[in-house]
Amino acid sequence: MSNFIEETVLSVLHWNNTLFSFTTSRDAGLRFKTGQFVMIGLMVDGKPLMRAYSVVSAYYEDHLEFYSIKVQDGPLTSRLQHLQVGDKLLVGKKPTGSLIIDNLLPGKNLYLLSTGTGLAPFMSVIRDPEFYESFERIVLTHGVRWKNELGYYHYISHELQNHEYLSDLVKEKLIYYPTVTREPFARQGRLTDLIENGQLFSDIGLPNLDPEHDRVMICGSPSMLKDLVSILAERGFTEGTSHTPGNYVIERAFVEK
Amino acid sequence: MAFVVLEECIRCKHTDCVEVCPVDCFYEGANFLVINPDECIDCALCEPECPVDAIRAEEEVPVGQESFIVLNAELSVHPAWTRITHKKEPLPDHEAWTGVPNKLAQLDRNGA
Repeated sequence: MSNFIEETVLSVLHWNNTLFSFTTSRDAGLRFKTGQFVMIGLMVDGKPLMRAYSVVSAYYEDHLEFYSIKVQDGPLTSRLQHLQVGDKLLVGKKPTGSLIIDNLLPGKNLYLLSTGTGLAPFMSVIRDPEFYESFERIVLTHGVRWKNELGYYHYISHELQNHEYLSDLVKEKLIYYPTVTREPFARQGRLTDLIENGQLFSDIGLPNLDPEHDRVMICGSPSMLKDLVSILAERGFTEGTSHTPGNYVIERAFVEK
Repeated sequence: MAFVVLEECIRCKHTDCVEVCPVDCFYEGANFLVINPDECIDCALCEPECPVDAIRAEEEVPVGQESFIVLNAELSVHPAWTRITHKKEPLPDHEAWTGVPNKLAQLDRNGA
């Protein structure tokens, strides 16, 4: 029995020279929890070449969506970036991951802290009604170097606000906080600095991070994860797992090349 | 790099790790689990799932347990060790063996 399902590419969107998104068909049997990732890939020299990708699309959608970097010499992304509508994509049958609501204790505000393609799982989160029912505020931060790396910027700030079913919840509860480090933008700076110096909280009008009422999901580069985890640990946050829910959960944005 | 199952797993074998592994790279013997380092993708999900803290990244294996890096590589490719893809009950006397030092002598190599 194969561990993979062969899906068909339905659309491809290139954001810039380094980032793109694509959608595929979705097997009716593939179930995943919001925030999870799945192995995807291509047959290369007769063997499956697979990498972990967080699912961008919502659990209730009939397609799958992924958000990827493009690297010229990346074993998989150098090939994936040439995907065309109609091409086949292998999708693993075992979605998994730690960025799930079950791993968090109940709380008031949910912070989704991402850099780069670490935004991917949170695109699924901000379209899951259960998260809006569970939290009073959802704060989505996305840290990138350049403005053109803010994938989904228009979708989050416009389309989602007018979403057929979610618009009321989004308008009431979602705070989108994109930041850029290397060129002028409305919000500038590294997430870690904006948290430590309190700028983030004064900008959005919420109190400083406190394990009493805040829950955090983090997805980004290994160095970003390390820095944010030490900030959270200093404030008394504990990591949640499936058997012991906590105040925060982390996952690396896997594919770096 | 890969993650490594350490001595504390021996005679406990909780298998919570198996359930979260995206690539099913765990293999089981009678009283121990191992990770195939060539299949592990370093996603780190298994490490916090282990209730007895028996999994570490290769470069964070505690002093004195370095031999487990090779042991995982060796046993995971032995034909007598089979792939395990879902969680099951821990060994019946796992509580008695939790925290017992020097369990390597208790390892059942399953004929390997």
